[in-house]
Amino acid sequence: MNCGESEERIALHAGGDLPPREAAAVDRHVAECAACQALLSGLRQTADALRAAHSEPVDSAHYAAVRARVLSELSRRQRPRWAYAALAAAAILLLVGVWPRATPRPQPQVPAVAAVRGADPLVRGGPPGPLPRVTPEAAGRGRRTQGVPRTRGSAPPLQQGEPGPPAQPLVVKLITDDPDVVIYWISEGKGE
Amino acid sequence: MRALAFLAMANPAGGTDAGTNAGPDASARAIAAARTGGLAAFETLMRQHERLVLVTALRLLGNIEDAKDASQEVFLRLYRNLGKVGASGNFPAWLYRVTVNVCYDMGRKRASSVPMEDVPNLAAPGADPQESAAGTERQRVLHMSLRVLSAKERAALVLRDLEGLSTGEVARALGSSEATVRSQISQARVKVKDFVERYFRRRV
Repeated sequence: MNCGESEERIALHAGGDLPPREAAAVDRHVAECAACQALLSGLRQTADALRAAHSEPVDSAHYAAVRARVLSELSRRQRPRWAYAALAAAAILLLVGVWPRATPRPQPQVPAVAAVRGADPLVRGGPPGPLPRVTPEAAGRGRRTQGVPRTRGSAPPLQQGEPGPPAQPLVVKLITDDPDVVIYWISEGKGE
Repeated sequence: MRALAFLAMANPAGGTDAGTNAGPDASARAIAAARTGGLAAFETLMRQHERLVLVTALRLLGNIEDAKDASQEVFLRLYRNLGKVGASGNFPAWLYRVTVNVCYDMGRKRASSVPMEDVPNLAAPGADPQESAAGTERQRVLHMSLRVLSAKERAALVLRDLEGLSTGEVARALGSSEATVRSQISQARVKVKDFVERYFRRRV
């Protein structure tokens, strides 16, 4: 092609990719240049043939196969996460259920007992009278109610079965093999 | 040129068959559902866009098994990025970009472009040239014509001429400038035309 018209412009024009003014200029040239006319015609026919060759629909079985493979892969990847979660849940249940029994229980806080009796023997120096029987529940409550005696007898008597002040929640962080999976278990701290 | 005229007349339907089965609203709903709705919702999202992904991959890679592998990877990346694609605004453009990138990666691992001189004789042995041209040979030649293009030329041509994207959309999908894409498209059109003409001139 020695006419000076660029092959690139004709190729773009064949696909409708030139702005209107440029396209009109190419059309004027092509009308007078046999070589460019042949080039433009060949490009358009090739493009039509290419589209026709690629217009055959893909068998639906191929789509189904891709979907099945993707879903299978995703299910396989998700399974360990559930396994981790189940394992973690079991471990935490075990921890929460066993730990309070396994650890030695401290004596109940004296002030709590004193509150029941209406006096604080440690503060007032009175003779220690017989302590009421301490149940495991009361002992656990006493362990978690440190600081209550600072009210020096102004605290209401702590009756058995009555909820104590809010306890600090127990937070357990479990790190799994998968860096994307970190499991936090936050317990209300009711323990037993 | 005569061969080309015959090719064009033999199957005048043309047109593209890729694209999505859902409008933007349906896509947004499906993405939102997939984000919270588990695998069943994600399967719905896949069904809406599987034609875009698989057909584009098939045109870029040239065989269905590779295209299925590429599609699988595209959808796995989509699943991992469900939170991002919802905010991107143009979901099909995102899918095209990822599909092209996955196909680039796969193409690097194997020879995705063959020199024009190395293209084998695609006709069945002993077949009459005219009968062959009328049958599967025509399809094979046209499919093979994309293999003589570089990966970027092929992607530009497939997205513009077969998928029907505008040059601006192609540029965004390929991460190139419009000027670069226009150059790639024009070179690809000329190469494909030359390949097909040379092939049939050699056969006849």
